[in-house]
Amino acid sequence: MEAKFADAEKLFDRLKSAFVAQDYETSITLLSQLKVKLTEFSGLPPLYRQTPTQVQELVLARSILEYAVILSVKTEDQESFERHFLQLKPYYTDTRQLISRSSEEYPILGLNLLRLLVQNRIAEFHTELELLPPEALDDVCLKHAIELEQSFMEGAYNRVLNARQAFPHETYLYFMDLLAKTVRDEIAGCSEKAFDFLTVADAKKILMFSSDQELLKYAAE
Amino acid sequence: MFAFLPLRCVYTNLKNVAALVEKGVVSKEMRLMVRAMRHVMSIRRKLKGPTVVSFLKSTLPSGSDALSRLLPYVSKEEEIGMDIDTPSSALHVSSHKQSILPELEIFTYLLVLIFLLDKKSYDKAKACSSGAIKRLQQLNRRTLDVLAARIYFYYSYSYELTNSLAEIRGTLLLLHRTATLHHDELGQETLLNLLLRNYLHYNLYDQAEKLRSKTQRAESHSHQQLCRYLYYLGRIRTIQLEYTDAKDSLMQAARKAPLSASGFRIQCNKWAAIVRLLLGEIPERTTFMQPGMRKALRPYFELTNAVRIGDLELFRQVAEKFSSTFYTDKTHNLIVRLRHNVIRTGLRNISISYSRISLTDVAAKLHLVSATPVDDAESIVTKAIRDGGIDAIVDHANGWMQSKETGDIYSTQEPQLAFHSRIAFCLNTHNEAVKALRFPPNAHKKELESAEKRRERQQQEQELAKHIAEEDDDEF
Repeated sequence: MEAKFADAEKLFDRLKSAFVAQDYETSITLLSQLKVKLTEFSGLPPLYRQTPTQVQELVLARSILEYAVILSVKTEDQESFERHFLQLKPYYTDTRQLISRSSEEYPILGLNLLRLLVQNRIAEFHTELELLPPEALDDVCLKHAIELEQSFMEGAYNRVLNARQAFPHETYLYFMDLLAKTVRDEIAGCSEKAFDFLTVADAKKILMFSSDQELLKYAAE
Repeated sequence: MFAFLPLRCVYTNLKNVAALVEKGVVSKEMRLMVRAMRHVMSIRRKLKGPTVVSFLKSTLPSGSDALSRLLPYVSKEEEIGMDIDTPSSALHVSSHKQSILPELEIFTYLLVLIFLLDKKSYDKAKACSSGAIKRLQQLNRRTLDVLAARIYFYYSYSYELTNSLAEIRGTLLLLHRTATLHHDELGQETLLNLLLRNYLHYNLYDQAEKLRSKTQRAESHSHQQLCRYLYYLGRIRTIQLEYTDAKDSLMQAARKAPLSASGFRIQCNKWAAIVRLLLGEIPERTTFMQPGMRKALRPYFELTNAVRIGDLELFRQVAEKFSSTFYTDKTHNLIVRLRHNVIRTGLRNISISYSRISLTDVAAKLHLVSATPVDDAESIVTKAIRDGGIDAIVDHANGWMQSKETGDIYSTQEPQLAFHSRIAFCLNTHNEAVKALRFPPNAHKKELESAEKRRERQQQEQELAKHIAEEDDDEF
């Protein structure tokens, strides 16, 4: 039992170093190997058997899955993000008595909220929101996602685009870019109805483009 | 019938109820069991320890393990000064029975449970109810359904009062499966409601919805359970942003609930008010002024005011002032969603009252607090225009918003369409009423009833009428 655990830990260290070196292919292969190793531990969900190393197993499994989630953001793979996040969720909810809270919990929850917002799954966004305890709402990452949703609903799209500069975590960049695209489409639709005419400079400012060429390219679409 | 004189000892009443239960089992009539339950509810306040002990001793055969399990729960309550009411001699008959009807045994479990819950010894009630559930799982009799449904309810209730609802989720699911296999419809309904309540207690709306969409529901056997189901359904729909469905369910639940269930009605009304606000309609003042609910609904009344005026600042103040109430009601997240409605209403008021207004003034009037209020205002206005909330155009160069002239509405198609929908509705109702009046096609071919059959039918009708008249009381 201990030997298996030590093996898994060594493999995990290799994963971490590959990740830091931004070598994503090796990371993915290492991750699959780690997942196979994880199935051998019986202290994890859904079994939760009481073994002497259960707490360490839980902590290790949780860290592995957190890395998997962040990896899928870096490789821009939304389905694997969803899969890994769903596997990670029981570690946040059911294991609260067994292990202490992870430091990455709130950033990852915020990432998930952002993903739901980008994919326009607002009903699930709100359902997830209900699951958060009140003190979680003060956390920077979560507050960021929640305020984004509010601004989106209200129509204050400029606030959304400004928020892109003020992201709390580097992993948020990917989703913020996707969101920016959606927002631009929305702004364009609204401007079409609302403005009778608009100068190029003003359009540039509203749509937050940095140069005239981008604006003209967008207008051609 | 039985004489329930309040001065007579409670013991006699209990004995009478037990006899009623037996009669119900023998004649296989659920109505008698339901009536027995109602009588128990009416005397539950007068139950005292010694009474229960003597009742247990006389009903259950001595030496049965039910008796040995139940007595410790009750006798510990009243150790000192046991002052047993002397039962009248005529009722000693049942004390020497060797085997006892399972219904009576379950009934004694139920009685002890109710007694413990009233005395607020929740841990004992928890243990007692677990024992009752284990015993119930060994039995499979349809006549037990009414009593079993009560026991499930108190089982869940005792766990809820001790904050350990999550533990029984597995058991409740197992019981639900068993009830479905046995075609125990009342038990199925009760258990589904208890499961939904369990999930909603922990805010697990996703799982609650999955469960609810997959179970089959037969027609409702119990009015109270139907009201509860509608309320839980309404809550799930609200969180999933389906406000129209939610509004229907919640309004139905509020209307159907019995008048004495004031706590339940208050909750339904709170949620119904919020859903109506989210839909964009303002509930009338009278809904908040109903007798008995005025104080509880006060926060929601002030909230409605803020939304009606469209004042973001007032809205923020009200939300902060009553935030603890909203947290306990679990409506906090919904209130946050209302902010959008407040802004929309404010915008609409502005666009109606001004033909042309600069965006900085719009921002000031809406109390938009942010780093770039003018840009915010511009974006919000453009979105509102696109959604059809207001009729205006924005002039970016000069930085103002200009409302369109609202033409004469009678010259458009609008009145015609409104009339058309109303006429269609009235005609539909008329058609359905006419259809309902028609006799079934082969009625004239049935033979005429003989005098004896008629007498029997009349007797049944009388009993039914009496039963319906008595059904108006509270069950739970």
